Amino acid sequence: MVIDITDVTPLFIWLLGPEWTEGRLFHPLPLTVFLLLLIAGLSWLVVRLRKGHGSTDRGAARAIGGGSAAAIVLIALGIIAWKLLLLGKAEEIAWTLTLADFAEGLRNSCFKGLQWLLGSGWHQGALYWWFLVIISAAAAVFVLGWLAVALRRGPIKALETSGRAIGDCALDIIRISPRRVGALAGLGIKESIRRRVVVVFAVFILILLFAGWFLDPGSIDPARLYLNFVLTTTGYLVILLLLFLSSLSLPADIKSRTLHTIVTKPVRSSEVVLGRIAGFTAVATCLLLIMGVISYFFVERGLAHTHKVDADSLKTVEYAAGRPTGRQGLTTRVHEHRHKVVVDPSGNGRVEMEQGHRHDLKGDWKELLSKESAGKKYQLGQPEGMLLARVPVYGKLTFRDREGKPTDKGINVGDEWTYRSYIEGGSLAAAVWTFQGITEKRFPAGLPVDMILGIFRTHKGNIEKGVTGSLLLRNPRDGSDVKPTEVEIFESKEFQIDNRLIPREVRTPDGKKVDLFKEFVSDGEVEIWLRCVDMAQYFGVAQADMYLRAHNASFAWNFAKGYFGIWLLGLLVITLGVLFSTFLSGPVAVLATFGALLGGLFHDFMFRLATHQTYGGGPFESIVRILTQQNVTSEMEPGLRTTVVQTLDQPAAFGLWLLAAVLPDLSRFNVFSKCVAYGFNIPGDTILTYTCRTFAFVLPLFVAAYLCLKNREVAR
Amino acid sequence: MQSEIIIETRNLTKVYRDFWGRQKVRALKALDLEIRRGEIFGLLGPNGSGKTTTIKLLLGLLFPTAGQALVFGRDAREVTKNERIGYLPEESYLYRFLNAEETLDFYGRLFNMPRAVRRQRVADLIEMVGLDWAKRRQLKEYSKGMTRRIGLAQALINDPELIVLDEPTTGLDPIGTREMKDLIIKLRDEGKTVLLCSHLLADVQDVCDRIAILYQGEMKEMGRVDSLLKVQDVTEIRVTGLSAIGQEEVKRAIEHNNGHVLNIGNPTTTLEDLFLKIIRESEEHPGRRVRGVVEKT
Repeated sequence: MVIDITDVTPLFIWLLGPEWTEGRLFHPLPLTVFLLLLIAGLSWLVVRLRKGHGSTDRGAARAIGGGSAAAIVLIALGIIAWKLLLLGKAEEIAWTLTLADFAEGLRNSCFKGLQWLLGSGWHQGALYWWFLVIISAAAAVFVLGWLAVALRRGPIKALETSGRAIGDCALDIIRISPRRVGALAGLGIKESIRRRVVVVFAVFILILLFAGWFLDPGSIDPARLYLNFVLTTTGYLVILLLLFLSSLSLPADIKSRTLHTIVTKPVRSSEVVLGRIAGFTAVATCLLLIMGVISYFFVERGLAHTHKVDADSLKTVEYAAGRPTGRQGLTTRVHEHRHKVVVDPSGNGRVEMEQGHRHDLKGDWKELLSKESAGKKYQLGQPEGMLLARVPVYGKLTFRDREGKPTDKGINVGDEWTYRSYIEGGSLAAAVWTFQGITEKRFPAGLPVDMILGIFRTHKGNIEKGVTGSLLLRNPRDGSDVKPTEVEIFESKEFQIDNRLIPREVRTPDGKKVDLFKEFVSDGEVEIWLRCVDMAQYFGVAQADMYLRAHNASFAWNFAKGYFGIWLLGLLVITLGVLFSTFLSGPVAVLATFGALLGGLFHDFMFRLATHQTYGGGPFESIVRILTQQNVTSEMEPGLRTTVVQTLDQPAAFGLWLLAAVLPDLSRFNVFSKCVAYGFNIPGDTILTYTCRTFAFVLPLFVAAYLCLKNREVAR
Repeated sequence: MQSEIIIETRNLTKVYRDFWGRQKVRALKALDLEIRRGEIFGLLGPNGSGKTTTIKLLLGLLFPTAGQALVFGRDAREVTKNERIGYLPEESYLYRFLNAEETLDFYGRLFNMPRAVRRQRVADLIEMVGLDWAKRRQLKEYSKGMTRRIGLAQALINDPELIVLDEPTTGLDPIGTREMKDLIIKLRDEGKTVLLCSHLLADVQDVCDRIAILYQGEMKEMGRVDSLLKVQDVTEIRVTGLSAIGQEEVKRAIEHNNGHVLNIGNPTTTLEDLFLKIIRESEEHPGRRVRGVVEKT
């Protein structure tokens, strides 16, 4: 028997499995042992290396360097071989591995537990792509470094030098001393204070003082307005401050030569970089903590108000002849709005929702029905439901046409924005949401439904009155002939979230009272139908326009999460600033960081521009179109000019693509402030995703900054 | 071991280039140097002669264009060598918003010193440089002399084996200068190695065991101070109690006039004379190592 020892593919398949999921290695016991051994081995190595002294540096650096260089080459070769041999499709090799791929991987696989991070099996997850990108970048740097040295000193010497450089790099990172980093971070904090960081507080307080003049508490959603304002102001102020602090600090130290007395101590370049990042991050943390507390009280105080109910202004309402009467009317006008007050004959009163909130009466509603209330004014409590952190449960949306038949989409009423699809009033047309995971334990009181409806009127009707709609329930397991049961009729509210509670006890068309969970919920699934009742009026809906509110999370905690989003963005800006300041002079570093920040904020646009997904061509074609006042959608006239500008646009597009591939997509970080402003809880998944995304950039940026500083002549 | 080599440079060359890689200045040309443990070594030279460049290359602040700089037998770019080095720069480049205690504590932390050790060392050094009365004042309020003293204290925070001093007496008053020179000698007596560069030739002459004279990036002379300053072809006879008549006859024969010969040896010139002669000679014969300048005088 001849054994072909060059073919190791079967061994890999035996060990890892064809999809890297079913191999022997991934059986629970071997996997646990393997991981434990790996962790123990790495820990032992790190401890050994951290304990090492000067005299062992050279040997350790050589060993690590040689090992790492070999590992990088082997892994790079392995990836290529794996792609070529196992897939057998050379053309499908992803040669264009970029950080954007990593971001894309994250984007496509968010909110699925940790699957987005680890992938299905052990590959195709974000972590896999990240490692691939990092290893590719490291291999590219290694090869370039080797080439540069090889040209001067020959290939063997170059290999030794490059290997030792990797070893030094690994040692400089492993042997980072917390005490030294702490000292340098403390210095960064003191320097920030010396640079009058306090001025930012003064500006912030000043802005808040004058904001009261411009923020209108009488707007449709004042909470959103206030929250957007404080989060945006804090974000801009802190990010700008961090941008200047981080990009000017090192160049200032190099210029004043104070860095000379630091780098002539046993301080590694990695510690200098990490110290700066840690120091400015600490400054950012303190700033955001203090600004967050001030903002929280500013919002709460700015939105706080009460109304009074003048008992004499309430009208008596007769529900049935000869029966007891109720009363209804309006509260006093405060913050440009009034609430409708309704007291039913049995003395149950409520204040209707207005501007996204309602109030409660301080006292007994029954008193308002009695004669003793004459001439009295009753005080309402503070607004409720204004500052919320809703935890939504989203469903899947399908449609029924005007004859009740299933369809993918509703009607397009001519809106350019096709986000919402419309259902026709007075017909069998309906929007149907199927919710999963619905249990009695989760919703003990019934199903709290939140709706945001778009309304399209084909006739004015009573413009003061909303369009009437109805909510219906249906068991998804029922046959198609079973009609849904109407449980609620309501009057729509435009431009705000309308919340309704479908109670546990539901009355069926034949008058029977049934339990919602027993009748309509099967395996945790329920269908909620929305219909428009008024003829010739339309409701516009999208999937996210109706959700069940599982519960409300703590607003203060959600507010803190919003600030955490700014903190993450700040950390990225600090790292970028420190990176640029290691090889650029102060003003240029500021400009470069600002450019990177802008590039990150317009990341999507840049990517679309680079991949020719926008109208009007690249930068040069756009200039020509602006100068000649041409429409962006019309084709350029063929000719020399068109050929020249379009040829010039090719390298520009490549440059943009490269930038977009390297820069983080910063515009996505506004999901934090949006969630807080719109009153939705920021899920843990989102926080984890964005934290990973931030550190996925911070770590390589830190290593790049360290390498730049290490190879810079500080005294030049 | 007295002869252990602490600093060694082999063919050390530094060329400054501009942004485009074109050669601007050849700051140091093939410097070969050896400094042994326990000696005070002085680097002398006019402005732009390459003294500070040499020191910066030895400290890893600059990278050599060619050649090698070894400190404690290790490449000058290695960080760990700095654990045994103290450096006082030309001007004390310290953080002016820190006070004396904070400054020394900060540098102590950079040496990974535990808090208790740091505290003791900071107190000792502040007392040694005589700044106990101003230890809580920010450095921006310090005079130049006080800043030099705190700069010296930070250079000694780690009790270094090698001390590199760039113009150590600049900005000090005569008493401060004397104290600095005494301290340098004291450090040598404790077995430490001192490398200093200075323009003040009298200071160098007072304290250095060996010197090297640099001019336009090249080493022109190196050796022990006493032997370099010895004028070989002149005999000096110092006498005392010589009468007026004897003075008249001294040219004929000293012994015939009852004079008591105290010393017969070689007179020395001043370092300043030597230095100026070497520079003059170098200008007359550029590129040639100066030899025997002293003999000709």
